[in-house]
Amino acid sequence: MSLDKLKFESMQRDIQNELLKLKEEEESLFQDMNNMLNQKLFLDTKIKGLAKLVPTLKVVKHEAQDLVSTINDISESSEKISGKIRSLDAARSRVSECQHRVSDLIDLEICSQGVQTAILESDYEKGAAHVHRFLSIDQSLLQRTATDVENVSGMLKSVRTLQDAASQLQAIVEHKFNEAVKNEDLVSVERFFKIFPLLGMHEEGIKELCTYLRTKVAATAEKNLKSAITTPLSDKRYSVIYADTLTLLFEGLARVVDTHQPLIETYYGPGRLLCAINILQKECDIQMKRVLTEWTRARQINKKIQLITELSRMSSSSSFGKLEKTDPKDLDILIGEITLMHFRTELYIRFIQRKVVSDLEVGVQDQDEKGKVLKSLENLIKNSDLTHSKHELLLHYLRLEQYFMEESVAKAVSMDCIEPSQQTSSMVDDTFFIVKKCIRRSISTGSLDGICAIINNACRVLENDFCDVLRARLRQGYPSGYLDLTQAYNVLQSSIQQGRLQASDTEQTRTAFLVALNNADSSTEYVDALCDSVLKEIEQALPTMNSNEKGKLESCLSGLSSVTTNLKEIIEHGIQQLRVSAIKPRINPWVDNFTSNNHQLTEDELSTYEAGESFVQTLIMNLETLLSLFKDVLTTANYDAFVSVLTTEVTQRLEKVIMKSTFNRLGGLVLDKEVRSLAGYITAATSWSVRDKFARLTQIATVLNLEQVSEFYDYWGDHDGALTWRLTPSEVRTVMGLRCTCNELIRRSDFKVEDIKRLKL
Amino acid sequence: MDDYKFLFKVVLVGNAGVGKTCLVRRFTQGLFPPGQGATIGVDFMIKTVDVDNEKVKVMGPLTTHFHTLTLVLQLQIWDTAGQERFRSITQSYYRSAHALILVYDISCQPTFDCLPDWLREIEEYASSKVLRVLVGNKIDREDREIPTHVGEEFAERHNMYFLETSAKEAENVERLFMQIAEDLMKQARSRDLPRYDASATSINGRTSTVSDSSCCSKFQ
Repeated sequence: MSLDKLKFESMQRDIQNELLKLKEEEESLFQDMNNMLNQKLFLDTKIKGLAKLVPTLKVVKHEAQDLVSTINDISESSEKISGKIRSLDAARSRVSECQHRVSDLIDLEICSQGVQTAILESDYEKGAAHVHRFLSIDQSLLQRTATDVENVSGMLKSVRTLQDAASQLQAIVEHKFNEAVKNEDLVSVERFFKIFPLLGMHEEGIKELCTYLRTKVAATAEKNLKSAITTPLSDKRYSVIYADTLTLLFEGLARVVDTHQPLIETYYGPGRLLCAINILQKECDIQMKRVLTEWTRARQINKKIQLITELSRMSSSSSFGKLEKTDPKDLDILIGEITLMHFRTELYIRFIQRKVVSDLEVGVQDQDEKGKVLKSLENLIKNSDLTHSKHELLLHYLRLEQYFMEESVAKAVSMDCIEPSQQTSSMVDDTFFIVKKCIRRSISTGSLDGICAIINNACRVLENDFCDVLRARLRQGYPSGYLDLTQAYNVLQSSIQQGRLQASDTEQTRTAFLVALNNADSSTEYVDALCDSVLKEIEQALPTMNSNEKGKLESCLSGLSSVTTNLKEIIEHGIQQLRVSAIKPRINPWVDNFTSNNHQLTEDELSTYEAGESFVQTLIMNLETLLSLFKDVLTTANYDAFVSVLTTEVTQRLEKVIMKSTFNRLGGLVLDKEVRSLAGYITAATSWSVRDKFARLTQIATVLNLEQVSEFYDYWGDHDGALTWRLTPSEVRTVMGLRCTCNELIRRSDFKVEDIKRLKL
Repeated sequence: MDDYKFLFKVVLVGNAGVGKTCLVRRFTQGLFPPGQGATIGVDFMIKTVDVDNEKVKVMGPLTTHFHTLTLVLQLQIWDTAGQERFRSITQSYYRSAHALILVYDISCQPTFDCLPDWLREIEEYASSKVLRVLVGNKIDREDREIPTHVGEEFAERHNMYFLETSAKEAENVERLFMQIAEDLMKQARSRDLPRYDASATSINGRTSTVSDSSCCSKFQ
């Protein structure tokens, strides 16, 4: 019964729900219908409006068709009109051509009449102007006019007159020009030079003028060279007199080019400078060679080069001394002169290039043509004796400079001396001074190849000659044996007693060793500084290097900077020697003292230990003594390296002796304190962080300082308080094992072997 | 990112006009420029060469994994002038060379006769470890004067590699440089190479990591 009732109730609920839904649906439908009704009105009015538009559309279509036909008509008529205009244009151009021909004919007449009178009156400019007008008339056109026109004979006559006059004038002008040259009549030279182009004789004109200029240049050069040869030794320019002569030659030529270039450009048009330079270059070549020949003779270049070559061959076969060596200092001035000569030549070549190129920019528009002219300029310069002489100068320069650098460095090394207050010796400053001087001098030649060769050479000298010396000194080793303050005092005492204050032999060897080590260190800084400053100076001296040239330079410079790699190896070698002979033998006994202390302390023992002189205090005091011996005599970087090696040795040794001892809680506590104060001391002694080197030791102390085994989890694992462990799990267990003491008396809460085994790591 | 960058210097020497510049141009640009003018001083070109990347076992602190190294090999080619007057410039490049290519012209006896002089120069200025290659160029020419076996014997006597090439016909040029690149790589792997240009070494995956991590490798 109740079941039925329940069923009934649920059905009733369902039905009521359905009813509600239906009601909602009805309402929404009603709403929709209302909306549609509203829209119907709106749509009706729209349709009515459209119906009205239909007849109008028909009208529009009709009118559009009319418009199309009108446009077609217009286009047709415009075609017709433009055709007429075209024929008008053709007619007009014919008329203008006709006018042109007529004016040509008239000019022809005037010119033929005028030219003779002008020649007779010696007014060559006027005559040449007539001929110029005649030449500017298209000759083939003239021929055609002749066939068209009836009055042929008159015109042909005029042409013939003018042709005769032209050749007559050409002869006269050439003659007059030569006469003017002979008389050194500059005004007439210029006058007739200007007439050549009017007669269509551009090339001849330039050739004549430049031949004339050549003689002038030759005369001046001859005079300059003579005065150079006769310059007395006492003259203050004597040492660079040939460089001066060369400079005068180039300046003279540059002045000639500068003054005549505007003349050529004005009267002959732009783009003709190369032609002139071509001729002048021949004289330049001749004079350059003459100066060089004289210079080679006066400065005995060949003899010097030969000597150097023989010397270098001798030294490689190691039979020194038979030949008197040339003092590099004697070559110094000569090398200076060569760089000057080379640089002047380089400058002149750049001047010529600049001039021709800028003339070309104005005068020649066609790119192909321009390329061709540039190519011929390049060939002119490349094949000139000037360039060959320049290369020869560079060859001499490099030979001499290489010798200079090698010998000077060798001298600096052999004259090396140690100033008592200095950490480094004189050879470092001297060597880098020489190398820098040589490279800078190579920069002043203006030749990138020269600079690169000298940089390569500097690299060789530094890596071989210079580094070898340092290496050899370090190879002699650092004498070990005790040198405490007391011992040092004794040595000093005995020295004073024996009346000699110089240090003992071992002392000297020691100093030499340390100085060599310092030399290597400060050399690394010198190399870096050298590379930087050289790069800057080269960029300044050669601002127009292309990317390829830059790559070349950078490659050579990177070779130079890699000298530091060699130096660092040398330093490493030296520091290792110090480790073996100065650090290890002294430190080991100090650290080994650790084992003689008891590390299983009672409270009482602890306070007694802390009241007295503890292990670490003694160790620090000893280290202090040792470090103070090296602190001031080593460079900062070397001292840091020394401390670093010392730290490694101390920590490793200490770790070893700790592993040999046994601890209790208080012993661990003391150890932890002692490790901390040792780390603190060494941190204060140097400029870098020693935390890394102490990491294992600190962790060992932490393990030994634990209250109980399980506490270890505070430091192990993945949580925030955990350390980055430098000990392996098995090492941790071994260290913990040091706390498993058997001393019944003082055992309190010490580690049990089972606990350690249970530890999950 | 390049894991490893190798840079080798290759220097070409030999008489003027034997075709050094043409060999370099053929290799670096694939060109044969006719009427090539004489080289002035030294020319410098760089060509990057493809090498097989290799898998290297890297022992990390916790795991060992394989890491594919990207190897970049650059040949820095120094093309020297053959003319006597540039000798001081060209000689200065011998010392840092990893490989020296000595070139002669198979159709020109004098260029072959000069080889001993060149060798003397190499002995004097170059590193003793330098890789030396003898190349007879211009085998496209009909008028051969030096038979192949003569060149071969010379090379063997002086402990050099030997190859005959034609820059014009592109014969053996690629092979020449690739062979050198391979040999230098081999040398570099065995660390036989004089150290040079340390700036271009790697960020990770160096063989040294193996020893660095030895103390941690016990964690595995």
